[in-house]
Amino acid sequence: MISFFTVLGRHIKSAFLSLFRHVAMTISSSSAVTVTLILFAAFLLLAGNISKFTGNIESDFRIHVVLNQDQMQQEQFDSMHSQLLALEHVEKAEFSSKDQELELYIEEKGEAFALYRGDSPLGNAFFVTVDSGDNIETVTQQIKNLPGVSNATYGGDSVSQMVDILNTVRIGGLAFVALLTFLAVFLISNTIKISIYARNQEIAIMRNVGATNHYIKMPFMIEGMFIGIFGALLPCLLAYFGYEYLYNTMGGQIFTSAFRLLTPIPFGVEVCVVLVLFGALVGILGSSHAVNKYLKWVR
Amino acid sequence: MIRMENVSKSYKNGVHALRDVNLYIGEGEFVYIIGPTGSGKSTLIKLLDGEEIPNTGEVHVAGIDVGRLKHKKVPIYRRNIGVVFQDFRLLPSLTIFENIAFALEVIGLDKVTIRRRVREVLELVSLSEKARSFPHELSGGQQQRATIGRAIANRPKVLIADEPTGNLDPEKSMEIMGLLEKINREQRTTIVMVTHDAQLVNRYKKRTIALEEGYVVADIQKGGYIAHD
Ligand SMILES: Nc1ncnc2c1ncn2[C@@H]1O[C@H](COP(=O)(O)OP(=O)(O)O)[C@@H](O)[C@H]1O
Ligand SMILES: [Mg+2]
Repeated sequence: MISFFTVLGRHIKSAFLSLFRHVAMTISSSSAVTVTLILFAAFLLLAGNISKFTGNIESDFRIHVVLNQDQMQQEQFDSMHSQLLALEHVEKAEFSSKDQELELYIEEKGEAFALYRGDSPLGNAFFVTVDSGDNIETVTQQIKNLPGVSNATYGGDSVSQMVDILNTVRIGGLAFVALLTFLAVFLISNTIKISIYARNQEIAIMRNVGATNHYIKMPFMIEGMFIGIFGALLPCLLAYFGYEYLYNTMGGQIFTSAFRLLTPIPFGVEVCVVLVLFGALVGILGSSHAVNKYLKWVR
Repeated sequence: MIRMENVSKSYKNGVHALRDVNLYIGEGEFVYIIGPTGSGKSTLIKLLDGEEIPNTGEVHVAGIDVGRLKHKKVPIYRRNIGVVFQDFRLLPSLTIFENIAFALEVIGLDKVTIRRRVREVLELVSLSEKARSFPHELSGGQQQRATIGRAIANRPKVLIADEPTGNLDPEKSMEIMGLLEKINREQRTTIVMVTHDAQLVNRYKKRTIALEEGYVVADIQKGGYIAHD
């Protein structure tokens, strides 16, 4: 008797022989994979970056807390700092002195306000970071009610609307990818089914000479796997180089640094790996499904 | 070795291919099945190799209840028997050598043994020169010899053959008969052979079972062709 690996070797050999002897079927099945995987690649690239954007924007969720003019002592700052940190959902509270506040103000409004340097009319302040955009509004309200706080504001509705939109796009993209996956499996299974249809006689003959269903399926599944991998090659190259090109032309971001793109390495490579694995899996599933159908046809 | 009891087989289209067939074939026997076209000869072969299931009755081969085998067990049962199909059933994408080797691979023999045995078998059926050819490159007679080679490759206990000389000229037919007799004699392989060839049946006399319209109409130990009227 012979070992498992010898048998596996035979299966791989016969899968390869079959791939080359059925070139037309290999090409047609592979291209079915290719088309869907290109779409899949586009959505992987998009979804990955959208996740990143949302993360970026959420990390920009900071509450600007301006203190009353009577809050001037270091002990008062320390006490305010611990009060802020004690609030739920607050992750960080950074002190910003009235002079630093003035610099920010000058940066925003212009050099005309530079004459106030040395005697800032602004109050001392804190920048409070919350754990997620969803909690920013309630936390802001709570801070406003603290004694010694003059005002508390955050980016406002525009920021949270942006997050909502990105979330919707992300979820929509995910649903689309799920649909695409289903489509890919269906397409490949069908293409392989059509191509195996021409070989249902072969499957019957294999049973005639004593090959078990399992034994018959093996090379077809390996064949399917390679078809899937072949089909993933073009989308893989396209995804990587296309993304790299896009990344470079856009200078690594869309409009602002909040929309910083993921770098081609490792993201492009990761997408590539996912595509190849996905192609292989879909190929195996598709051909297994297809062969099962024909195995049942004859005794 | 082969036992059929009250076997009837009708197809979905209502054709009664076999009716109440009772047969016993002992180990090492060589039996002809004769009868006109449509008399149920191929159906009998298909019942023996598990391709069809009887409507009633039982089919036992080498101690196995063939009619009650589970779908996935059928191929394993077939490793005990060799079948020569009327329509050859060679794998079109494999060479003649690979076709015969395949039947040995599935039963788990090692490479060296397979190579040796395939060469032996090719020699036996005079196809050594065609080892690398594909089935479609061979004549009908050559394909037939290839299927015979494949059927006997694993030295089965039972060899069932559906018109194995159907496509051969008389000379080649005699060669094949000589080969089958040798296998029957030397390996005590039980052989059931369907044939149309009256000349052959008369020349190599063996137990002969005649079918007509699905009935066994004669079972003659001393053999010889029966004229139909
Ligand atoms: N798969 C099938 N479906 C329907 N009818 C069949 C099938 N196979 C054979 N038959 C019918 O059964 C009868 C016996 O056929 P068969 O066993 O092939 O006879 P033989 O081999 O003696 O010529 C014939 O009438 C044939 O038409
Ligand atoms: Mg027939």
